[in-house]
Amino acid sequence: MARLGMVIDLKRCIGCNACTLACKQENGTPEGVHYARVITREVGTYPKTRRTFLPVLCNHCDDAPCAQACPSGATWIRNDGLVMVEREKCIGCRACAVACPYMNRHFMEKGLLEHGYSTDGLSPYEAIKFAEFEEGTMTKCTLCGHRVDQGLEPACVITCPTDARIFGDLEPEDGKLQKLIRERKGWTLLPECNTKPSVFYLDD
Amino acid sequence: MAVAQSVPAESNWIPSTCGMCLHGCGIRVQVRDGVALKIEGDPTNPDNLGKLCPKGNAGLSRLYDSTRVLKPMKRTNPRKGPGIDPKWVEISWDEAYGTVARELGKVRADDPRKLLCAIGDFQRILLWGWPAVFGSPNFFTSLGNYCGGSYHPVNGSVDGSFAAINDYDRCNYWIQIGSGDGFSSHLHLSGSAKRMADARMRGMRVVTLDPRMSVAAAKADEWIPTLPGTDRAFVLGMAHVLIHELKQYDREFLRDRTNAPYLVKEDGYLLRDDEGRAMVWDMQLAAPQPWNAAAPADMALEGAYEFAGMRVRTGFQVWADQLRDHTPERMSEICTVSAETIRRIAREFVEAAQIGATVEIEGKTYPFRPAALNYYRGSQSHANGLFDNLTYKMFNMLVGNIDVPGGHLGVPLDHRGFFIHEGEDGVLKPEPHQLHPAPPFKYPPDSTHLMEWFPIGFDAGQLNTETLLEPERFGLNYSPEVMLMYHSNPLWNLPETDKVEKIMARMKFVVAIDIQRTESTEWADVFLPDHTYLESYLLNCLEPPAVTGHSLRQPVVEPVGDTKDAYEILTEIAERLGFRDDWNDLLNVVTGFTANPKYLLDPEKRYGVEELWDRYARSIYGDDKGLDWFKEHGHAVRYRTPEETYMPYGKLRIPFYFEFIKRLGDEMQQKFEQVGMKDWPLDNYQPLPFWKNSQVIEDGKAGYRFYAITFKESLHTFADTVVMPWLSEVSEKDAIHGGILVNPITAENLGIQTGSRIRLTSPAGSIEGQAQVVEGIHPEVFGVSNAITRHFVTNDRQKQRGSHFNRLLTGSMRYTDSATGGLESSARVRVEKI
Repeated sequence: MARLGMVIDLKRCIGCNACTLACKQENGTPEGVHYARVITREVGTYPKTRRTFLPVLCNHCDDAPCAQACPSGATWIRNDGLVMVEREKCIGCRACAVACPYMNRHFMEKGLLEHGYSTDGLSPYEAIKFAEFEEGTMTKCTLCGHRVDQGLEPACVITCPTDARIFGDLEPEDGKLQKLIRERKGWTLLPECNTKPSVFYLDD
Repeated sequence: MAVAQSVPAESNWIPSTCGMCLHGCGIRVQVRDGVALKIEGDPTNPDNLGKLCPKGNAGLSRLYDSTRVLKPMKRTNPRKGPGIDPKWVEISWDEAYGTVARELGKVRADDPRKLLCAIGDFQRILLWGWPAVFGSPNFFTSLGNYCGGSYHPVNGSVDGSFAAINDYDRCNYWIQIGSGDGFSSHLHLSGSAKRMADARMRGMRVVTLDPRMSVAAAKADEWIPTLPGTDRAFVLGMAHVLIHELKQYDREFLRDRTNAPYLVKEDGYLLRDDEGRAMVWDMQLAAPQPWNAAAPADMALEGAYEFAGMRVRTGFQVWADQLRDHTPERMSEICTVSAETIRRIAREFVEAAQIGATVEIEGKTYPFRPAALNYYRGSQSHANGLFDNLTYKMFNMLVGNIDVPGGHLGVPLDHRGFFIHEGEDGVLKPEPHQLHPAPPFKYPPDSTHLMEWFPIGFDAGQLNTETLLEPERFGLNYSPEVMLMYHSNPLWNLPETDKVEKIMARMKFVVAIDIQRTESTEWADVFLPDHTYLESYLLNCLEPPAVTGHSLRQPVVEPVGDTKDAYEILTEIAERLGFRDDWNDLLNVVTGFTANPKYLLDPEKRYGVEELWDRYARSIYGDDKGLDWFKEHGHAVRYRTPEETYMPYGKLRIPFYFEFIKRLGDEMQQKFEQVGMKDWPLDNYQPLPFWKNSQVIEDGKAGYRFYAITFKESLHTFADTVVMPWLSEVSEKDAIHGGILVNPITAENLGIQTGSRIRLTSPAGSIEGQAQVVEGIHPEVFGVSNAITRHFVTNDRQKQRGSHFNRLLTGSMRYTDSATGGLESSARVRVEKI
């Protein structure tokens, strides 16, 4: 059994948002919905100041609070660890969104799929992509499960200009992910939530 | 339609070339049932290695943007002005062409110079000569000049390159000044970002100078905030430290590979013998010798000498003497960086440069200088831009790092490389005018941007704002009446928008070729819609660092609307105006077909866009690599070899003492005197750079207390992508694009908080906006992200924020480098809360 995950090297990351946009076009999400995004913050005071870039996405937690909170069984975890939502079973109660401490659950509000990014209706591209969504249900990053199933890496990974995102299996102790996590003291977001994320970060 | 054959019905990946910025990374596009679904970097292209920046990832949202213009249109409201609805109606191509040919034809028959052209599609640079064939020399845009007005001429003058970048693979100490290279912008961002990240991971140190916490500053080992337009003072101070304090510089390089040892007379010209050969001081003979007669070991690099009653100094000595008073203390007062920091960075740099070291690459030994200073717009797009650029190049020369492993490398415009020709005295021939030959001096001038008065330089489009409103001052004896804009937005990109509006209001007819409506196209009478890059052909190669070779842009889908390729549009207009033969002749020159007559276009024949690029491909790569080969393979891009990268000009020297600039200045002075024009500024035609105040510094004394700068980061090109909802949705969330940036100390002094409405007023104009308080900006500087500078949007999902920075800039010669025509891209401002 595998546990798919990602290591994000913050030393390499330049906060360019290529991941944000690659995810956008791969998944064709509607306005306001970004499975991948970059949180930019300023730290320190002038002149000893920095901008920090933190790319975030669903952590595909080993102990996923969203799955525990889901009353309908719509949220399920694949054998390889990917946290998925089955649209047909989702009742739109949003319990998962409340439970997720990372705010990586996205609710398809009513009317959201009626318009695309342009002024008039849906583009041919959006018409195809939006057919995958349903208003009133929850959607989220699948770590590009549809690509992974074809032997491809997630869209955010292949496009990353600096190779800051390393995708793979977290299980093998001698695998490239675990090696990086050990050597560079990888950490996860909000460890106090005990969610056991599958996305690790390496310090800048 | 020809395009249909290349677009299969089922899902397919089609190789092509990105067109979201000017550079053109390799892409592949997934298409199913005629709909483009995904753009990825082409993993087979060594340029970007399968990666794409956010703009490249947003290409589909441009293709399918419903605010694209999909049919030719004409305005039905004769009234023109900002905010006035043109009342567009769709028309047929035939009617559109008919109107354009009639209006342009009238002017061409009268005086073709009366056409003002604004062309801004850099990838289709081969089409830029169209106005010249029409008969108009005019260039009504700041494109190119805004960033590279002085940069490109100096690169061309030093080593025949167009741009430059430090050696990602081998540099260990990288000073970055006013540039996004490797972090957020410039030369092929996605591949460069990968190379920069790899270099940093192997331990390369990055020191960034910038008034603002740019990405390059955020990721650097050290950020040094400076004042806009004063970076040169920092570097001149470091040059002083190397020459006069540490006395560490690459004597061998300067002596053997530059003209630094050539003797300079008191009048600023080189000492030459009767045969015109430049002389050096032979220390054995204690006498001058021709540069190619003295043994290198005997050649003096330093010193002043007496000869035949004359005092002569080496070129190196002249600069050293000039820098004697450019102490870190004095330079510190100008740039606000401490003298201690100037000294420390100079020391770190020269130590990291490993002067004297060599490295063997593929069996050949090269000098190894793994320290280099890289720079771009922010550091040198200023009124003394020539001095800025010369300073940065010469600082690199002091450690001998030009075009050697680890150092500062020239990047050619096109893969066929540098302009390498032997010039005078064993020195590479300077190529200060790269996009077209330098036009001969003329008075009265033909061009409204006075190109005949700039033997060095790009094209100073900003001068239109002065020349067209006060033509008598410049001897201009005609007045433009019609305008052609092609992917250009002069109402956004030129300084002094009010003046630009006045000029546009005088036009009797305006035609625009573009994809979407812009500030400027709203003044057009006829709008001719172009294909996007995903619907058109082009064989592209522009400023590729590390790699060489072309990649093909090809249609991946049927055109979304009734649009046409800009080449076809310009060719049809030429045909209707009766100069298609001359157009073909010009294309023969710019494509290089004249040197390869087998591929010459027949002036009598009309060529389709596929035929043109097929010929172009075959003329470069051979008959087995025409368009069909490129359609299948996508590109012919490969890594540059060490021989192509390092010292591609072999034993030719590069200039250190820029005698030719002084000579051109003196010649210009004579020419102006002959025509009785005495007040034209020529003071920047200097052979060596030094510190002198610019008008911007003077404005500070006149009560404009603060500086204003504009900047871009990776989400956007400067103006074009700002209206794309996929991208603006993301940039709107980042504080640096949230408003006019101000340091907290300054904000407190002025009673400003984030969200306060403020007005910035420069000598040229004022802008308003919302303040955004951030730590990452110099307390004397206000920063205006490009993302908030557009003042017209067509997509009603988009905010119109309109803090149009360029209104603060001035188009006149006082704010223009007198030698290169480079514009001043920062401004002094007064700030008030409103």
